Amino acid sequence: MKQNKQDTIIATRNISRAYTMGNMQVTALNHVTINIRRGEFAAIMGKSGSGKSTLLHQLGLLDTPTEGEIIIDGAEISGLSESEQTIFRLKKFGYVFQEYAILPELTALENVYLPAMALGLSQDECVTKGMDALEKVGLAERSDHRPREMSGGEQQRVAIARALINKPKILFADEPTANLDSISSKQILELFRALNQDTGQTILMVTHELEDADLVDRVIWLADGKVMEREE
Amino acid sequence: MTPITTELKVSAFLAYKFIVKGNRGTSALTILIMALAFVNLMFTTSVFDGMGDATEKQVIDTLYSNIVIEPKDDEVYIKNPDAVVKKIINVPGVIGTSAQYVTGATIAYEEKSGAWSIRAVDPDDEQTVSLVPDMMITGEYLSKYDRGEIIIGKEIAGGQGGSLEHISLGGVVVGDTVEVTFTNGVKREYRVKGIFDTNFIQSNQMAYITKKEIESVLGIHDMASQILVKTDTKGEEDRFLNQFVELGVHEDIKPWTVYAGIVATLTQSFNVLNTLTGAIGFFVAGVTIFIVIYVSTVSKRRQMGILRAIGIKESIIIRSYVFQAVFFAVCGCIAGLAIMFVILVPYFTKHPMVFPMGDVTLLIEQKAAIMRSAGLIISAAIAGLLPSWRAARETILDAIWGD
Ligand SMILES: Nc1ncnc2c1ncn2[C@@H]1O[C@H](COP(=O)(O)OP(=O)(O)O)[C@@H](O)[C@H]1O
Ligand SMILES: [Mg+2]
Repeated sequence: MKQNKQDTIIATRNISRAYTMGNMQVTALNHVTINIRRGEFAAIMGKSGSGKSTLLHQLGLLDTPTEGEIIIDGAEISGLSESEQTIFRLKKFGYVFQEYAILPELTALENVYLPAMALGLSQDECVTKGMDALEKVGLAERSDHRPREMSGGEQQRVAIARALINKPKILFADEPTANLDSISSKQILELFRALNQDTGQTILMVTHELEDADLVDRVIWLADGKVMEREE
Repeated sequence: MTPITTELKVSAFLAYKFIVKGNRGTSALTILIMALAFVNLMFTTSVFDGMGDATEKQVIDTLYSNIVIEPKDDEVYIKNPDAVVKKIINVPGVIGTSAQYVTGATIAYEEKSGAWSIRAVDPDDEQTVSLVPDMMITGEYLSKYDRGEIIIGKEIAGGQGGSLEHISLGGVVVGDTVEVTFTNGVKREYRVKGIFDTNFIQSNQMAYITKKEIESVLGIHDMASQILVKTDTKGEEDRFLNQFVELGVHEDIKPWTVYAGIVATLTQSFNVLNTLTGAIGFFVAGVTIFIVIYVSTVSKRRQMGILRAIGIKESIIIRSYVFQAVFFAVCGCIAGLAIMFVILVPYFTKHPMVFPMGDVTLLIEQKAAIMRSAGLIISAAIAGLLPSWRAARETILDAIWGD
């Protein structure tokens, strides 16, 4: 038990997220309790509308649960102020969204090193780290290209490199392959797999592709905002 | 905590990239709109300043020159004006003097008559302080020993399309004889030797005869109602005033501004109008800039949400938009000034506006330009601040996925 607890990087205790729409109450998450271990590659799966994104947003500090608590790295985070959360996200989390979500005005390299720059790194450090990250996603030679000169899969890899730049404790990805063709999708998933295996990167990924389940360590199944965990 | 320099660096980096790598067309349009807002703001001011400047020039060139020396309070005339002139004529910067008599008179021609002010001058001296001798439209200016001849302004003569036709003599031409009744009752007939037009309604209501002539009318010699003094610079009248006093001039010495009551009233009404149009202009410019910046920030709402999601502080994002807005405003001001100097000023120099104080061209005062640029840049900064600040208030999820 003790061992297990130390290994937990992120845990939730009975978190719920309800939306009030007019006089209707929508419960997107319903008393969810999960543990994600350090170095784990976990997938959140379930039907559309089952609450996958909502769960990821709570864990990634992009939203606040209406009930329950979240513990990251042993610390309860509900006490963090908004700006503390911002810094937390910058230093400890990396995000990959369904849309490529990189800035069209910046080159691949600039997009990647922006979070490092915001941490106060020098230009040289930014470039070195940015190139390293681009290397990891196999786009080092495209560093000067602007997003519009790249394919969707390449843009998504730039987003992944950006997510990795500050060596995050957890990488969050919400349906990162949903907008990609099957070849690019496979590339992205293999990249995640490799990152997890080679560097022990903790990854939490929302997906609705059933075949993705084979690639990950564990699947957290959601239905109607509730967890139905089936360990492999 | 990230130090402020890091924040500024990231803000500047983002602003720079958004400007340089963003949509060129949008940037150009934004700058153009800012430039037009600036021109709109500057134009009326420049016209008013141009009117003020034209009026001042007219008052100096055709009415009072730079400095006027008058008799002491309790006296009607300066006695021995030559002695006064001798004291000041060698002061560096003094380039002319004209001692003269000023008197009221009724001038009549056929059925029509009116009361005007007549100056009696030494034509040679008058050349050194006034531009009226160069502004004859028909006939000739006086010469030193002329007797029985008079020079009148266009508004006295009438028939020249002046603004005061209804109180003029109704169309006197050179060679006509007018009857002049002086304030002491003396009545003389004068041949009109010339008619002048200064373009200035005020000086066009003057008449001139020679000193010799008036001295015979008044029966006095070596006196003057005033001495006009021309200096080579404008705006340093006080320095000359002090110097004249030191040189022993005991008469009343006044700068032209004291006589320019008309300028003062005009300037005052201009200032009121100027402030009013300025305020409206600022409001319009502010709203325009606000809309332009607002539209551009609203379209970046998602982008801002994503930046916040990956941990970029709101203040960095907001500041990057303020930087952009300020950049566009600065470019707008520069472009606006270019439009003013390259297009509008040359145009109005070629085709001046005609006003009662004469031809008016645009005058761009440095102070007005600086004030208005600063105002525009500040409005732009606020316009950049508000929408991005508002957008940063909403939740990250709403910013990225909301509608
Ligand atoms: N901002 C919101 N306001 C109201 N209801 C929401 C909002 N976001 C999500 N929901 C609802 O919560 C449920 C779960 O949504 P979501 O987590 O996006 O599902 P998934 O990602 O599994 O498709 C859905 O029923 C959705 O309609
Ligand atoms: Mg979803």
